[in-house]
Amino acid sequence: MKKTGRKSPETAEDRGSLPAGTIEVTPEEKRTILRSRAKSLAREPEKQREAEEYLDLLAFLLAHETYAVETVFIREVYPLTELTPLPCTPDYIFGIINIRGQILTIIDMKKFFDLPEKGITNLNRVIVVQEEDMALGILADEIIGIRNIPKSGLNPPLSTMTGIHAGYIQGVDGEGIILLDMERFLNDRQLIVHEEVGV
Amino acid sequence: MAGKNDAFMKRLLSTFKVEADEHLKKITAGLIDLEKDLKPQVKAGIIETVFREAHSLKGAARAVNRSDMESICQSLESVFSGLKRREIDLSPPLFDTLHRSVDMLTAITLSPPEEAVAGAGEISGIKEKLAEAAVGEIGAKQAVPSDRPAPRNEPQPSEPETFPRGPALPDRETDETAQTQKKAMSTVRISMEKLDSLLRQSEEMLSLKLAADRHLEDQIDLAHLFGLWDKQWAKIYPIICEYRRVQEKNDKQGGKRRQDDVRFARLLEFGEQTHDNMKILASRLVELRRRSDHDRYATGLMVDNLLGDVKQILMLPFSTLFEAFPKLLRDLSRDQGKDVELAISGGEIEIDRRILEEMRIVFIHLLRNTIDHGIEKPEARKKNGKPPRGIVRIVASRSESNRVEIFLSDDGGGIDLGSLKEAALKRGIVSPEEARNLTEQDVLSLVFQSGVSTSPIITDISGRGLGLAIVREKIEKLGGRVAIETDRHTGTVIRMTLPLTVATFRGVLVTAAERPFIIPTTDVERTVRIKREEIRTVENRETFSLEGIAIPLVKLSDVLDLSERDDEPPVITVLILESQGKRIGFRVDEVLTEQEILIKSMSRPLSRVRNIAAATILGSGKVVPVLNVSDLVKSAAVSVARSVKPEAPQAGGKAAPKTILVVEDSITSRMLLKNILETSGYRVKTAVDGIDAISQLKTEKFDAVVSDVDMPRMNGFNLTEKIREDKKIAELPVVLVTALGSREDRERGIDVGANAYIVKSSFDQSNLLETLRRFI
Repeated sequence: MKKTGRKSPETAEDRGSLPAGTIEVTPEEKRTILRSRAKSLAREPEKQREAEEYLDLLAFLLAHETYAVETVFIREVYPLTELTPLPCTPDYIFGIINIRGQILTIIDMKKFFDLPEKGITNLNRVIVVQEEDMALGILADEIIGIRNIPKSGLNPPLSTMTGIHAGYIQGVDGEGIILLDMERFLNDRQLIVHEEVGV
Repeated sequence: MAGKNDAFMKRLLSTFKVEADEHLKKITAGLIDLEKDLKPQVKAGIIETVFREAHSLKGAARAVNRSDMESICQSLESVFSGLKRREIDLSPPLFDTLHRSVDMLTAITLSPPEEAVAGAGEISGIKEKLAEAAVGEIGAKQAVPSDRPAPRNEPQPSEPETFPRGPALPDRETDETAQTQKKAMSTVRISMEKLDSLLRQSEEMLSLKLAADRHLEDQIDLAHLFGLWDKQWAKIYPIICEYRRVQEKNDKQGGKRRQDDVRFARLLEFGEQTHDNMKILASRLVELRRRSDHDRYATGLMVDNLLGDVKQILMLPFSTLFEAFPKLLRDLSRDQGKDVELAISGGEIEIDRRILEEMRIVFIHLLRNTIDHGIEKPEARKKNGKPPRGIVRIVASRSESNRVEIFLSDDGGGIDLGSLKEAALKRGIVSPEEARNLTEQDVLSLVFQSGVSTSPIITDISGRGLGLAIVREKIEKLGGRVAIETDRHTGTVIRMTLPLTVATFRGVLVTAAERPFIIPTTDVERTVRIKREEIRTVENRETFSLEGIAIPLVKLSDVLDLSERDDEPPVITVLILESQGKRIGFRVDEVLTEQEILIKSMSRPLSRVRNIAAATILGSGKVVPVLNVSDLVKSAAVSVARSVKPEAPQAGGKAAPKTILVVEDSITSRMLLKNILETSGYRVKTAVDGIDAISQLKTEKFDAVVSDVDMPRMNGFNLTEKIREDKKIAELPVVLVTALGSREDRERGIDVGANAYIVKSSFDQSNLLETLRRFI
């Protein structure tokens, strides 16, 4: 870079000399300017408070209803191609699959939640959910896609809601998407299979 | 900044834990050695060692601000400096105090620094005791001058290898330090976690080997297809040649070719070209196959070598397992008023850490048995002309290649074969006719049967007859064997052989109800094919006879709750599986192969699945469940029982609930017991003391009594006596549940005729329920 005689107006010395030399500013004017600046600055936080907390969800179909899981719990979505059913397990254990050398348990939510069978289902997608050391697959008929909904848009589950125990539902949004409480689901002791041979 | 400091403190503390553990182990070992009859100069050496260890531990404790530990170490140090100067003598009360303070130090080490495990009072109590000891006040009166050896020394010459870890003699100690220093130059410490991860990854390499096998198989299949095509070509080729000849003849005779013939000739030409191309592909396939074969061989070799070396890294000497035993044995024998010395040799032999971990339980069961049943009380030993102190020996040695042999022997009273036979009869394990024909060895093998115990009473330590059954199951699972020899005078010897490393898992791939399953090869006794006519139905259950022995037969698909078409092939494939001494034949569709497999444990939420132990991934990527044979055999027994006694539910399931009288003065304990028993399906009545209980027993019928010992008016012992005196209720099972855990009380329990004696401190539901189930 070449050095020129001109000083950039942004330099510190320049700014320092401004009030004293070039432009005359009375103390009153100064105060007004500062006040208006303060005012405009003071508005900012109000705007931010309006900003909503949004939730990222993955919506999917299960029979005729649309359910959703928060994306923070989702590791991947996997097409169900091969499945090994496990004998001697409860019916909500759909089977086990091999994902890149890891054995994963697949859960049929409809069976676990005791949902009535509605229509023909085509369980061909596995949503792999994970929290800490627990990873498992949830069966879905069809993946609808990612939704971004404001948290305030969630309504508590209707008391008339069929099937799923209200405790597993985090809320229902305006479109009727049922958000599942994954944290509770993954930590549910009822999900755990621990059976010995009874004699 | 603070976070960094915290992380550092955390690291420091975990390092401290490792260090403290080492010091404490050496101190404990020293204390145990000091209790033996050793020469004074040997003892002086040990005292010096322990003194130094206590001093080092003190310094380490100070570094991490554990002032509680520091002060106990300080007191320990003063005791040992007193011992060094011979100002105080070694006495049994002093040993107790020293062991207790080591226990407390261990407890403090294990607890996080924020939580004081022991109350300040307890710590100051132990410090006071140590301070008294330091000035020679503890047991000063009864102190025996054990520093000077008794003139009549132990008659048996104690073998030199009896004290393998006694770093006693000064010259030996310097030797050892020199050796440790030399070792330190060429060794590094690596956390087990990292090593485990290394092992896991090396085991995963097995999938490469399996995949390579699979690829080769695919190529062989492909080559086979080429072969079929080649044969077809060979059939068609003469026709082509024939056609050519006709055409050439026609050409020579100057005949004109028709349009169709020209086209056909071009087609033939193309066919031949294709044939040539196919030949080239086939020869390239042969080349590919050769290379795949080579790769498979090389991969297999490399994976096997790597896995072998990693397993070598994970080998640990037996001494890491054995070092805790002197203390365990001391505590157990003390509780029982017995005097026992433990002699260990072969601690330097290295074995797979995973085997060692399994063996910990095995040894704990065996040592408990030895103390409980084997070694007699000092008085009884004297009567039999034995030295009052019993000796338990553990000797490990390398036997055949890749196996280790372990002898656990005691010089106690052996096993009473008569009462063993009786116990087995009582539990219905052998029938009276069978019992008459049993050889001594047959009777002895009954000790490994679940539920057989000669102990007159169930205690927390033993008597349930499960210990040796677990021992055999564990050892067999590891691919080892166990045998027992006993003599009423010279004692009992248990001989175990174990593999040095955990072998790569092998499994038999079978299908049942058209689904594939893996059965561990070690559990398969043999595979047989039998004709349908050979199956006989005895008492509604299928059996077949193999070499003159009838073996029960079940369908694997039935045991696994799988439905199957009911077709009976003329020849049936049967796998004979063995577990816990039971042999059962399992019918399968077919046996496909036997191969190395890579076990993958199933994760949450599948914590334990009936009949299924794990899963594996075949070379093709297919997931196959691995069956749990011990469960299968149990399940088979259940399903056989179901089919044999259709009226069983009437007799057992819908029978009136059993009524139990709970006698307990504390309302809290009473409610707790009532609750536990009621949730298990018993009807429960309660009484507040022995008198109350007796009056209730007179008016109502009960199936069992569960009683506290310490109660006002009439305690549990007196209650038991009263019950046994009354002819009408003399046979009533009585379970004493108590806070008193002493030997005298347990013996009192036996004397008054209680059936079981459970200590509250270790009181958990399963213990009580299981005990009750044995009686009613």
